[in-house]
Amino acid sequence: MLWIENMKMALLAIRINKMRSFLTMLGIIIGISAVISIVSIGDSMRGVIADQFKNIGVNRAMIYVSFVDDRRESDLFTLDELEKVKDAFPKEIVAIDPSSSEDAELTRGRKTIQVALEGVPGNYSDVQPLDMVDGRMINAGDLAAGRNYVVLKKETAIELFGKAQASGETIRAEVSGEPSELTVVGVYEKEATPMDALFMGSTPVAYVPYTSLVSTGDYFFALNFYIAEDIDYNVFKSQVVGLISRMKNRTADQISYNSAQEEMSMADNIMQGMSLAVGAIAAISLLVGGIGIMNIMLVSVTERTREIGIRKALGARTRDILIQFLTESALLSAAGGLIGTLLGIGFVMIGGAVAKIDVVIDPMVVLIAVAFSAMVGVLFGILPASKAAKADPIDALRYE
Amino acid sequence: MNDWTDTEGRNGQEDRQALIRIENMGKTYDTGAVQVAALKEVDLIIRQGEFVAVMGQSGSGKSTLMNILGCLDRPTSGKYYLEGIDIGSRSSDELSLIRNKKIGFVFQSFNLIPRTSALKNVELPMTYARIPFHERHRRAMELLQKVDLGDRMEHMPNELSGGQKQRVAVARALANDPPILLADEPTGNLDSTSSGEIMRLFTALNAEGVTVIVVTHENEIAAFARRVIRFRDGKMISDETGGGHYAVD
Repeated sequence: MLWIENMKMALLAIRINKMRSFLTMLGIIIGISAVISIVSIGDSMRGVIADQFKNIGVNRAMIYVSFVDDRRESDLFTLDELEKVKDAFPKEIVAIDPSSSEDAELTRGRKTIQVALEGVPGNYSDVQPLDMVDGRMINAGDLAAGRNYVVLKKETAIELFGKAQASGETIRAEVSGEPSELTVVGVYEKEATPMDALFMGSTPVAYVPYTSLVSTGDYFFALNFYIAEDIDYNVFKSQVVGLISRMKNRTADQISYNSAQEEMSMADNIMQGMSLAVGAIAAISLLVGGIGIMNIMLVSVTERTREIGIRKALGARTRDILIQFLTESALLSAAGGLIGTLLGIGFVMIGGAVAKIDVVIDPMVVLIAVAFSAMVGVLFGILPASKAAKADPIDALRYE
Repeated sequence: MNDWTDTEGRNGQEDRQALIRIENMGKTYDTGAVQVAALKEVDLIIRQGEFVAVMGQSGSGKSTLMNILGCLDRPTSGKYYLEGIDIGSRSSDELSLIRNKKIGFVFQSFNLIPRTSALKNVELPMTYARIPFHERHRRAMELLQKVDLGDRMEHMPNELSGGQKQRVAVARALANDPPILLADEPTGNLDSTSSGEIMRLFTALNAEGVTVIVVTHENEIAAFARRVIRFRDGKMISDETGGGHYAVD
């Protein structure tokens, strides 16, 4: 019964000083919206990173000899060695390639386009499925025969041929200054998000059998492979590192082994740590907001000293006055919290729509933020409210 | 009516109808360096239904007496019994409850809650008495009609004249139907017409059985009372019964 009255009185007090109430709430509004948007952005970024790694291939790993001072030619790999590694792990390694990629100019008629040629293994479509809009992906036969086949991105095909159905067409290519002729066997489609541009660059990728970039006798820097999903990952890692170190006559710590899995969890940890740290800084603004509320409530109590005296004379008990002012400060900061929450969610939604990423808003974070802001209100309301409640009615009535 | 079974009346029969009994009461303010005696050796009995004027110059101790009678303050020596309850031994929350139920205040400066309608102001003591909304609403309307403000219920204090404000204050003082109406210079801020209205209202309420105690320094106001008590330098110097020239029409 009395709390309804208290609620009404608090609303009245907030309404009477609209501008002041709003400015007081602003601290909480900014704090809450900052915490919510920062934590949500962090969560969303983690999602984006996970997606990005899925694109690259979560099971992908790369091995090479580290950049040591006494670098020697035998630190590089040959295709024979690639076959040896593949044969050593028939079960564990699903696909392997020499991690070869070259910038190339593709020309047809007067049109020339810059692409990144990526050398892929014969069973690439098994490990990294692509959306084919025409023809087929490079296969094992192409690889074994060393055919000069290419799979283009849809946009590249349309630009060169005016259509996506470009299979069978031929184009001239210039790779590292050497001209060659490539036959299109397929066209793939891939929707790019702004994040892809950020991570991958904007040069379209064209796929060729790796044998067309690396021939027997050529040296290359690293082995790129895809690991089977149902193996003991750590055992495999130490085995493959052991094999390479023996093969290259290097110690195990001179071998670099990068896996998407490890990088992903590392990036995830960094993101999580970052959003936690920035979130904590944003939480400090909540504290500042709370102090703002305390300050204004103290002013309000002083302004209303006489009113407090009247209320006490009419029979208000210490607790009645305490609750009246606590209600006011809690309402003030809960309203700020609510507005801040809506604003924070709004920011995240708009940001997500603009960046075309799936935003993640953790309801737990929202709940904690609102509960925290109400708590801030009560906590920082205690001092002013108890000051009001303890006022002596005679002194308060005399207050001018 | 009496919620308190605590009856310490020593003079038994004689003081049964004593609403207020003050025995050898003193009030000393400790200002640190000096002790100021605001009231000295006051003995006073006020019975149910009396109309008392307390008079004196400023500094005579009449305001201090008012605060103690109104349970806003406690005596530093002696005893004050209100309906047999020893006020000096009560906690401040208990005093709040006693003020709420037993005393209706009317102040010189009206002391209405600002930006709060006349109706809400009258409801306030009933809110603190935890009286349900509908009942307090009904009673507040009734009381405002009684003080001739039936058409001003939703007005804010700043939309009311001085006389109207004081009538709202009287209605508020009566909210919990207290036995005592305590008025501190109730006409101090009013013109003579409004003053007359308020005093006639007090007289009418007194006729209904409410004990009215008015603190004033104006003889014309004191003339409404049947009993006049004068204070000087913290001491009661006279206590005369027999006034009350202005009868109710």
